[in-house]
Order: sequence, then structure tokens, then C-alpha cells
Amino acid sequence: MAELALAAVTPHNPLLWRAMTDPVPDDLRPIAADFARIREAVAAHELDALVVIGTDHLRQFFYDNSPAFAIGKAEAYHGTWENEVRTFGMEYAEVTGHRALADRIAGRSVQPDAIDFSVSLEWRLDHAFVIPLQYVRPELDLPIVPIHANASMPPVPSVRRFVALGEHVRRAIEEWDVDARVGLLTSGHMANDVGGPRTFAGSPDPGFDAAATAWMRDGDLDGAIRVCSDVDRLTAAGSMTSQYLNAVAALAAMGGRAADFVDVPESRFSTSPFFLWSTR
Amino acid sequence: MSAYMVDKFIRAVELGDATVAEYVADPPAFVERWLAGGGTPAAPADDRVLTDAEQAAFAERDFGALYALGAHPYLLWHFTEAVYEHEYTEGFGWRELVERYRAAVAPQGLVDYIP
Repeated sequence: MAELALAAVTPHNPLLWRAMTDPVPDDLRPIAADFARIREAVAAHELDALVVIGTDHLRQFFYDNSPAFAIGKAEAYHGTWENEVRTFGMEYAEVTGHRALADRIAGRSVQPDAIDFSVSLEWRLDHAFVIPLQYVRPELDLPIVPIHANASMPPVPSVRRFVALGEHVRRAIEEWDVDARVGLLTSGHMANDVGGPRTFAGSPDPGFDAAATAWMRDGDLDGAIRVCSDVDRLTAAGSMTSQYLNAVAALAAMGGRAADFVDVPESRFSTSPFFLWSTR
Repeated sequence: MSAYMVDKFIRAVELGDATVAEYVADPPAFVERWLAGGGTPAAPADDRVLTDAEQAAFAERDFGALYALGAHPYLLWHFTEAVYEHEYTEGFGWRELVERYRAAVAPQGLVDYIP
């Protein structure tokens, strides 16, 4: 049977792509080191596939048709968009899809009881997917199953749905009747206010960041659910803070156990989340 | 409905390099062309409507006004960055653009941007 061998949460801040180059500026060294640590863990776990949970930033998905959760069933994906190449200096990427695993998670002829997915067979991934992959698996050689979780276009799913997503991904992997080692890579934010009144002025809500770090460090899924159930609390912590919910999905996928590695370095950007659950 | 159209226009500009260049070259003309497009039998769900206030804000590249009109913050910041790129790369600098943006939106606090 397949195994969920590793889960990781990283930032997907695309401004890092231009800023974090050799020589790495002093304030970004901890971020570079944390990405390296997760990159090494992904390599050491000898994974066969990656499920990547991220939030599209109104590129592929928009208010003309905004899914709560969308899963990719394509054979391959193009990575990043013209505006992200222009704005962030990102590089285009091509990533292979994992159809069999996507079918396991999405259901082939009927949706799973736990969650209703939209299905996409043509999807250009944005930086929420490409940046974490390029940092933790620069070879881009692992087949992926991308899952968009809407944390950018209210109404967003409740935190309990993100918990259900994480638990479902774990269950679907464990019930997959093949010998495969699967990793779960999710990306998101701590408190973050892109385009809001506190944009690019450090963390807009250090208090939220401290609590959100503790839920991962202590394995406090109930605490995360309790606070994140108040969507006004998330909104008060910044315009894009709800993307922290992707980290809650990872915590739920790992059964709510404390992360093995937790670091949330501060830098010129808002606080960067790094959480890792490993089995080796 | 209106904030939706603001966001839709922003995406129509910001997603592509060519559209950014066309918009920056003559914002009022771009607004007029955009409003005249869409909505054919082949694209029945491509409606385009902007109020006078929204048209004026886009004609002036007025990010403070667009924030007040309910533009999605993430889209609005990247739109601002794209359509002022010439000014900040050759003139006052990126950090100054951030400061000007924040000065325009901060007094407004959190605006309901849910369309």
C-alpha cells in the first residue's frame, strides 16, 4: 500500500526568486536554509509523487467560476504566467502530472464522500505551486497532483473543510493499492496583507503568527480550528492570511501531530512559514 | 456586480505584457476599447460594464480610488505595480511606489472587496 511519507509547508513568496540569489542577503539566509532543509528531506524520503496543495492567485481561477477545491487530472502542467515572469522574474516550468494518484484522490466516476472536487485537465500553475516546487525539488522530476484550495476569493471554504481535505488526501494515499511513497507539499502564508493597508510593512499581525506557529509546533489542530473558524480573525490579520489554511490541511493530513521541524523566519518580507513532518 | 467588473478589467490588463503596454500608452482609450469588446454569441458570458467612477479611476490609474471601489487587494497591488513600472524603474523607485500605494489605501482601512 502507498504511504504518506512526508508533509511540508513552505512559503511561496515569489519576490524571493529575484531577492534570494547568490550571495544570499543576510536577512534571507534563514529562508534559504529552511528551503534547503526541506529539499534535503524530500530527497531523503525517496518519494514517488507529490500532492501539492496551493492557492491559485486569481490566475487560472477567477470569480466567473471559482471552485472551493480543484484537483488536477492532467498529464502535464505548464508553470507560471506571463505576468509572474514579468513581475517576479520567475522562470517557466513544465511539470508531469500523476493521473493514477489524482484519480485515487478525486474519485474517477464518483466523488469521494469527504470532499467535492472540481476537476481540471488544463491548468497553468501559478507561483503558489511553482515556487515551492522549484525550491524543494529543483529537478522538477516528481509527478504531481495539484490541488487548488480557494483561500483567495471569498467565500473561502471553512477551516473544517481544509481539515477534511488533509484527512482525505492521507486516506486516499493509504488506500492506494500500490507500493509508492507520496509527499504532501503545501504552501501558504502566515499573516500577510498584499495590497491591503499594511502591505509590505513586515508582518501585519505578529500575534497571529505566534499562535499559528504554536499550533504546528504543539500539534494543536483543535486550537487552529478554533481560531481559524473565525474568518474575520483571519481577515483582520491581512488580505491573504487565509492561505494559512493550507498549512492546517497539512497538519490534519499528519493526524494533528506536532511538526518535526518548525521555523518562521522574519525578513524584509512578512513572516515565512516552514513546517515539516517526516518519517525518516 | 461592480467590484467583479473592476477585478475583471484589472485581469484583462495585468495578465499579459501586451495589454499592460497598450493600457499604459493610453488608459482612457484602452478602457473604451475594452468596454466595446466582449459579449458576442460566441462568448455569451463576457459582459463588460464599468460605472462612470470606475472608468474615471482606470483612466487616471488611480489605485486609491480603485481600492475604495472594491478592487481585490492582491489584484490591485499587482495592477499598480504593472502600470507604474515605467515610473518606478526609471524614476522614483519601487519602495516609493509601495509608500504611495499604502498612503492611498491605509486611511480607508479594510474595504469590503467581495463582489
